[in-house]
Amino acid sequence: MADRRAFLAGLLATGLAPKQGWADAGSPAYLSAGRKPDGTYALFGLGADAGIVFELPLPGRGHAAAAHPTRPEAVAFARRPGRFAIVLDCALGREKAHLAAPEGRHFYGHGAFSADGRLLFTTENDFEAGQGIVGVWAADEGYRRIAEFSSGGVGPHDIKLMPGGGALVIANGGIETHPETGRSKLNLPTMRSNLSYIGLDGRGIAQLQLDDGHRKNSIRHLAVAQDGTVAFAMQWQGDLASDLPLLGLHRISQPDAALMPEAGGRRLNGYLGSIAISDDGQAIAVTSPRGNLLQEYRRGLLAREARIADVCGVAMAQTGFMATSGTGRIALPNGGAVTHAIAWDNHLIRI
Amino acid sequence: MRLRLAAAFVLLATPVAANPPDIAAIVETHILPGYTALASDADALARAAAADCAPGNAELAVAYHEAFDAWVRVSHLRFGPSEADDRAFALAFWPDPRGSTPKALAALIKDQDAAVADPAAFSEVSVAARGFYALEFLLFDPQFAGGAAPGDTCALIKAVSIDIAANARSILEEWQGGYGALMSAPGNETYRTPNEAARQLFTSLATGLEFTAETRLGRPMGTFERPRPNRAEARRSGRSLRHVTLSLEATGELANLISGGDAAVAQAFDQALGRAAALDDPVFAGVADPQGRFRVEALKQRIDAIRQLLAEEIGPDLGIAAGFNALDGD
Repeated sequence: MADRRAFLAGLLATGLAPKQGWADAGSPAYLSAGRKPDGTYALFGLGADAGIVFELPLPGRGHAAAAHPTRPEAVAFARRPGRFAIVLDCALGREKAHLAAPEGRHFYGHGAFSADGRLLFTTENDFEAGQGIVGVWAADEGYRRIAEFSSGGVGPHDIKLMPGGGALVIANGGIETHPETGRSKLNLPTMRSNLSYIGLDGRGIAQLQLDDGHRKNSIRHLAVAQDGTVAFAMQWQGDLASDLPLLGLHRISQPDAALMPEAGGRRLNGYLGSIAISDDGQAIAVTSPRGNLLQEYRRGLLAREARIADVCGVAMAQTGFMATSGTGRIALPNGGAVTHAIAWDNHLIRI
Repeated sequence: MRLRLAAAFVLLATPVAANPPDIAAIVETHILPGYTALASDADALARAAAADCAPGNAELAVAYHEAFDAWVRVSHLRFGPSEADDRAFALAFWPDPRGSTPKALAALIKDQDAAVADPAAFSEVSVAARGFYALEFLLFDPQFAGGAAPGDTCALIKAVSIDIAANARSILEEWQGGYGALMSAPGNETYRTPNEAARQLFTSLATGLEFTAETRLGRPMGTFERPRPNRAEARRSGRSLRHVTLSLEATGELANLISGGDAAVAQAFDQALGRAAALDDPVFAGVADPQGRFRVEALKQRIDAIRQLLAEEIGPDLGIAAGFNALDGD
């Protein structure tokens, strides 16, 4: 691998290299950040069989990553409230660019590329104003920051590109934080989460807000099907005896969301960590590291549950879903499992 | 890594705690006495305000401090009756990063809002204008306490005090009128198993300590380059360090009950309380210079040590995972 990388680097230097694709990075099917046994952190490329295809060091704990749609490039985000993100060339195994949050901003740990891969959108906190921001970076110009716009709420977390590529959907978790006080929640008495659909130019298109009973439900993570169904996973900020659903489905044209009662807060310990959806929107998987539970839904009904300690990352596989855990375990869709000596971090990103 | 892995599998195999805490005893000796004291001290506060609502009234100040003490001692118990109708938020709107409390109070005065004279209507005004932190502004901040409209401030002090007393009474009545029994004798819709009740208590303990470390101490500490002494909790009435001490005492009592008198837990609380007692910096003004900041940071580290001990040693016994992702919170 190292030799091939050196060879490719040499080719690139002479300008003779063909255009690089994900195959040049060993054709990983997924990306995940993780902690190694020696306490250092890395971004990993995983094959469809959950084998490690590549490993690139990270300076600190990661959160999510964004995979470039065509080039073997991954943006690894630092854990909230991180000030940096690193663009990794996964074929050459080196850092390609470094994104520094502008003055007065920090990253939340998620980002999304435009369909053509020319723009990267990142969720950020304008922490003095307590307002959510989407940062826009020109991926083709060395990831230069070119613009920013409102995320449509407070505490934006996950961000995904809608099918067709004309809009973004953003989970504004509603919780105000300030980097000086780390992750402490500053506005629980007045928090209000929403799901915002925003054009790539920052123009607001639609917004979903849950009713008053869900005021303390924080929409954090998103999965989008090819038919435009947006599945969202929430984290409850109130009483643990509440059994409000933590999983909802929405379409941009609808006034309300459909909430899934089987994803009740009690069973999931008030906390969903990740979510994935199949392309046709018929299958959804959610994970709760606090409830040690993976749930799979088919056609709106709970189809399967698996108890997996500290499960969090989940992504669609060829058939079914693959899920990762902080214990190192990777649950395969066929019911099998692979264990690496890596504490897999929150998210498993399908390439 | 290997150790963590083993712990996680044990946790799945044995969902029942080895030494389950005595929930009924916690309700009886920790929760009910705390809310009884709050209701009684809040009632005394409302009476003192009714007797003389001038901000300079010494008896009113004493009643304010006693009732606020009683609140801080139960401020970690954020579930059930205190969460219903957002009562705890209405008693304690802090932190207030956008400065909403002085703005909301000034608006009530400027608009001559009729709600000030009507307790039912006042219970519907913004939580930012209610509770102990609003009352502190009215009694101790020059903008209100020495302001141009003493009559308006006086009426607002009365309204806030009456509202605090009503809220405290509602919480106690709900605990006494059924919620305490639901928690003490699980097997009902609210607490299906003793373990669910134990988890709720453990979560409130962990969240209470997190709040003390990250918010009560973390907010004034700010960063090394930019300390924020003006963000200390209830600094106008000189209560910042007092809140840390009171909440450590109260959470220490709960931790002792949950852990079955675990010696390491008791020692960790003693060390933190020792640091707090030696600090001699009532409103954390010292964070502005490196040496003073170091001392506040040392106290925070003691509280972080308690949190780690509870997460790694006590939580797993109750089936609460201390996993890489479970603790991440994102």
